[in-house]
Amino acid sequence: MESTLADSRDDLSLRTHAHPISAQELIKTYHLMLLSRRFDERCTQLLRQGKLVPHYHSGVGQEALMVAPVIPLKRADQMIYTHRGYAHLLAKGISLKEIALDMFMKVGGTNCGLGGVMHVSRPDLGVPGREGVFGGRFGIAAGLALAAKLRKTSDVVVCFYGEAAGSRGILYEALNMAVLWSLPLILVAENNGWSFTSRTEWLYPQGRMSRVWRGFDIPVDVVDGNDVDAIFSSMTAAIDRARSGKGPSIIEGLTYRLDPHIWYDDGLYQPKEEIARWRERDPLVLAAARLRAMGRRDGELDAIGERVQAEIEDVFRAVNEARDARWQDVQGLVVR
Amino acid sequence: MTILTTRAALNAVLRSELKRHRETVFLGETTRDGGAAGVGIGLYEQFGPDQVIETPVSENGFFGAALGLALAGFRPIVECYSADFLLVVANEIINDFPKWRQQQARPGALPITVRGCMGANRGLGPEHSQCMESYLHHAPGLTVVVPGSPADAAGLLRAAIQSPEPTVFLEHRRLYDVVGEVPEDEDFVLPLGKGYVVRRGRDVTVVAWAWMRQEAELAATTLEAEGISIEIIDPRTISPMDFDLIKSSVQRTGILVVAEEAPLTGSVGAEILARVMESSRDGKYRATRVAMPNAIHPYSSTMEREILPDAKAICDAVRELTRSTQSKPVIAHNAAVN
Repeated sequence: MESTLADSRDDLSLRTHAHPISAQELIKTYHLMLLSRRFDERCTQLLRQGKLVPHYHSGVGQEALMVAPVIPLKRADQMIYTHRGYAHLLAKGISLKEIALDMFMKVGGTNCGLGGVMHVSRPDLGVPGREGVFGGRFGIAAGLALAAKLRKTSDVVVCFYGEAAGSRGILYEALNMAVLWSLPLILVAENNGWSFTSRTEWLYPQGRMSRVWRGFDIPVDVVDGNDVDAIFSSMTAAIDRARSGKGPSIIEGLTYRLDPHIWYDDGLYQPKEEIARWRERDPLVLAAARLRAMGRRDGELDAIGERVQAEIEDVFRAVNEARDARWQDVQGLVVR
Repeated sequence: MTILTTRAALNAVLRSELKRHRETVFLGETTRDGGAAGVGIGLYEQFGPDQVIETPVSENGFFGAALGLALAGFRPIVECYSADFLLVVANEIINDFPKWRQQQARPGALPITVRGCMGANRGLGPEHSQCMESYLHHAPGLTVVVPGSPADAAGLLRAAIQSPEPTVFLEHRRLYDVVGEVPEDEDFVLPLGKGYVVRRGRDVTVVAWAWMRQEAELAATTLEAEGISIEIIDPRTISPMDFDLIKSSVQRTGILVVAEEAPLTGSVGAEILARVMESSRDGKYRATRVAMPNAIHPYSSTMEREILPDAKAICDAVRELTRSTQSKPVIAHNAAVN
């Protein structure tokens, strides 16, 4: 039998919890994870009703790895996000309403139908945008990090990436420059077990996206990508290192894509038992358990759930009321 | 005015612009030693490693980094060791630079200047000799600049560096040692998107840029002795192209020859001919192209000279069109057009 991520979790090397997450940070994390989950669930529901949800890539199951690395960032720190899931953006301070308006090609989002949900940007919040070819991001991230270094700020750049982008040669080029110039760059590999219909272990030695980077003599940490504490402490250590001029780090989070790849994918190639095993390690369930262990009562968690539900209703009301973006809205912007 | 080679004129502009803004940075391979073709000689010594950054041979990486720097408010000048390698970074210069602000609906400055030396220079072979503008002029939102003299190189490079738009600046290798008068003024700029009438003429409009402008000027002298007066237009920028200037010239002469060094098929000349023909009111314009055949640059410089378009090819095209109403492209060595 082929080994899968679900079976082999033996080589996790978690950092010591140098910076344990605070109760307040954990509540914020949980709230954003839940908001992301409920939004994805609503999008999936709309798809099942036969509605259009353009370029929707569900992040269900990966919320911890999207939110926890962003929580310790400052506003001026730069973040390059992936196309899967919207929680990175939420965690960096972009409202779900803006994200949803972009997704449904309405006016009022960040790009007025030109880039949709694939190109959400808010430079004022440290989200300069996203490239859509996979891999180009590493050069851009290195450049943003070089800018921070040349200006002698303590800002850092966090670049999330998946199996596709991480397979491109530019990652080697950017990492080499980042080590050479001690750039404040943190790469977060989202190892979710699948790259569309390909298993991660069919694409990377032993199914680990970061294994080959050990030769760079920089921290290469493989963490439980569904464990908020583990991600947070690894990330804060990497941020400390970057801010103090010691250079880049790589954090690979092991998580799982519980939903199909994309709106037209049925995901039938993902074994049901594998999905069931990972559902037992649902990051939201784990985060809720952690909050309870910290003394938070069920009533408090329920209140977060109710707040999230109200936010979702508000967002979809806004989407329904908003006007579709049209070419004339942007023509002056893009034609010369 | 001072007499300078194109190389020295470009070097002086790089110096003045690195001095103008401390956040103008020059990135590329071997830049500590002057970079490609020695255009950047002395810059590292003068401006140091915070402004002159020597990169590994990692074009995707450092062209991407140029975008990251520009997004952070820097003004990167990024050098491609040979413009042929722009195909390595087609993703950065076509998919990322010009689309970035558009797909995010964020107008504003994205001041990236890409420099690269291009063109045939006697036997550098198929991957170090191509003229690259025809690959790039199809990309919406990308400014493409092709200087054809030392003074133009100076005024256009400064304009490119100061431009808020991502701009590709292509330097023909054979121009580096061409000498000419160059204004010493550190604010001397030439407008991007505006063509220039190099020589007034009556009978035929010849559009030529980069090295071919030099060939066109030689052709003009030969043809003048034969009683044919050609008007030479150097568009200076390929994109945006100054079609209006070309159209108004052809309106007077009725005959158009576009001379370029790149292979014929899908050439910039094809676009110019199409635009001019579409503007004809009576369909009576005559037009053709002078170009390289659809072939690779051979390493043998003897063979390469046989297929490179030159002043003689321009003369042939002009003579043909002034005699006959039939238009057919002129390519050297009777190479097949396909």
